[in-house]
Amino acid sequence: MKRVNILSVCGSGTVTSSMVAGKLKEYLSDKGYHVETVEARPTEAMNLAQSGKFDLLTFTSPLPQGDYEIPVINAFACLTGIGEDEFLDEVTKVVEGLKK
Amino acid sequence: MDLDLIALNVEAEDPKSVIRELGTRMLAKNYVKDTYIDAVLERESKLPTGLDLGEFCVAIPHTNTEHVNISNFAIGILKNPVEFHSMSEPTKTLKIGLVFLLAVKDPASQVGLLGNLMKIFQNVELMKNIRNATTKKEVDDLLDFIQI
Repeated sequence: MKRVNILSVCGSGTVTSSMVAGKLKEYLSDKGYHVETVEARPTEAMNLAQSGKFDLLTFTSPLPQGDYEIPVINAFACLTGIGEDEFLDEVTKVVEGLKK
Repeated sequence: MDLDLIALNVEAEDPKSVIRELGTRMLAKNYVKDTYIDAVLERESKLPTGLDLGEFCVAIPHTNTEHVNISNFAIGILKNPVEFHSMSEPTKTLKIGLVFLLAVKDPASQVGLLGNLMKIFQNVELMKNIRNATTKKEVDDLLDFIQI
């Protein structure tokens, strides 16, 4: 099974990032991926993203500017449900494009 | 749900009042620590939690796990809309009629609760029904499917 490591970022690194992580785990495992997630705050995001441990970063809190070196996807649609399909499509595209 | 955590007809001028009203109820029942309310207020001022769901707007103030004793959430049905700032665009304000004050002790073990909360936010009909509820029992019944 293909593994995907997702960094989910939100203000407190707890509530909304966990909601998004939960949703992505469910959605991607249906597609045959094994998903590992880490939830973090915006202040921790850059370091973690640049560590090389993650394939992509999703956020529900404004992120500090900078080069995160991995795909960064806005996950608000996942929370509100509005535009959620587009969000999931975008994540799927990134995940399917990963070289493993 | 703990019926003491359901507040109907809340009269508030601003997010601070709403958070204090709901936070005090959570504190009274020891779900949260003394530091919780201030922590939520501080977080809200830097990283607001208003969600624009199109037809409806809801706010989900919360803070870090270290201020929580036992996971739970309180609901505030506001008498008049209060302006919260938007989570996705913090300079923008949203008129909020329904507030969920969240206290999460351990997100990893609360995937079910968080998932169910997400389902509420994505169900505009359900939120309208909650907003129009006239008794705590009504709200409790509407949220029957949530397991803390």
